[in-house]
Amino acid sequence: MDLQSLKKQEHQRRIRKGFMWAFFCAILWGLWYIPGTVVWVLNPFDEMYGEIAATNGDSTSLVITAVLITAFNALTVIMALMVWNGALGKFGEMKRTIMEFKPCSRWFFLASIFGGPIAILGSFISMGFVGGAFAAVAALMYPVVGSILASKWYGEKISKRAFVGIAFIIIGGITIFGGGLLTELGNGNIVWIGYIGGLMAAVGWGIEGAIAGKGLDIAEPDVGLTLRFVGENIIWWIIAIPLLAIAGFPMIKYALLVFEPLTMLLLIFAGITFGFCYVTWYKSFPLIGVGRGQGIGNLYGLFAVVFIALFFGDIPSWTILVGGALCLIGSSVMFSEDAGQLESLRGE
Amino acid sequence: MVQTQAAMEAYNAYWVNSPVPAAEVMWMVVVLIVAILALWQARTFVSQF
Repeated sequence: MDLQSLKKQEHQRRIRKGFMWAFFCAILWGLWYIPGTVVWVLNPFDEMYGEIAATNGDSTSLVITAVLITAFNALTVIMALMVWNGALGKFGEMKRTIMEFKPCSRWFFLASIFGGPIAILGSFISMGFVGGAFAAVAALMYPVVGSILASKWYGEKISKRAFVGIAFIIIGGITIFGGGLLTELGNGNIVWIGYIGGLMAAVGWGIEGAIAGKGLDIAEPDVGLTLRFVGENIIWWIIAIPLLAIAGFPMIKYALLVFEPLTMLLLIFAGITFGFCYVTWYKSFPLIGVGRGQGIGNLYGLFAVVFIALFFGDIPSWTILVGGALCLIGSSVMFSEDAGQLESLRGE
Repeated sequence: MVQTQAAMEAYNAYWVNSPVPAAEVMWMVVVLIVAILALWQARTFVSQF
């Protein structure tokens, strides 16, 4: 076999692995919606919600409770990522990446701002105000933001086929938002903050992907993602929660009450699903590009609907099904792209 | 903090309509299987690339 054939074979292997990681991300992300939905009804979060709602109203209470849940989610994600990095022997690499703040770590800390306080919190808000199935599919628009940014910022190539995939995802997203809104209007019960939460998730994750793509030019995805969650933990535990406690919300009281076996079990499983889905998402970017990685990762919407139907027995409404199907078609169009088209991910 | 009766009722209500037997445990089994599979693939990936 000549050098050219070997190079081509190696390239095809990398592409296959890239799609495999994005697929793992989709399954694990879909599974995350099970603990992510159920944890809301358990204590201390249930009582926390009730206490804050009594004095500050339902909307404020939901956002504040979401902050505490998201903070614990970030904490258990770090635990899961330590297991991941330990199993892969990456602790030495982690130390090296932390030391190189300017070229490496700063990108991941920046990514944590968009992924954490904006995207994850937004997802929790939409989950609480509208529902698990809606939250799962509402953020499906994020590859549009991610691929456009990656293209404009560092010239990631977006082929015609990828554009078609993105168009399907936009139409699917409009179907999801529009259909849900029409149903709410019909009921006379419009929960705007739930839709804003969905939008926050789409924009936040899209921007995060583009930033991470830049950082992953010179850093390992496993380590980079761990640093991104270190950044998110700092945002929640050093900045947001103390500030909310100073503002008079019972953050510390309920944070200390979280050590209940069932609640801890759910938070640990949320950490495993979310941590592993995120690390596989990051692993796909250097192999197939941010746009495609996010596009295939987008299948999480479908998996979430499937897992929610399987384990909760909830049958999603037809608009969510149609929107989800369109997004799935868009992702499949990207997936079926010829490997030769992906030989160079950057335009230069 | 111990779970209240209301919290446990709400928790159990999630699994009542599931077509999967013992759904409250099965979803965790599915998570563990997928997570172990991903970790195994990651170790293989490290040795190959």
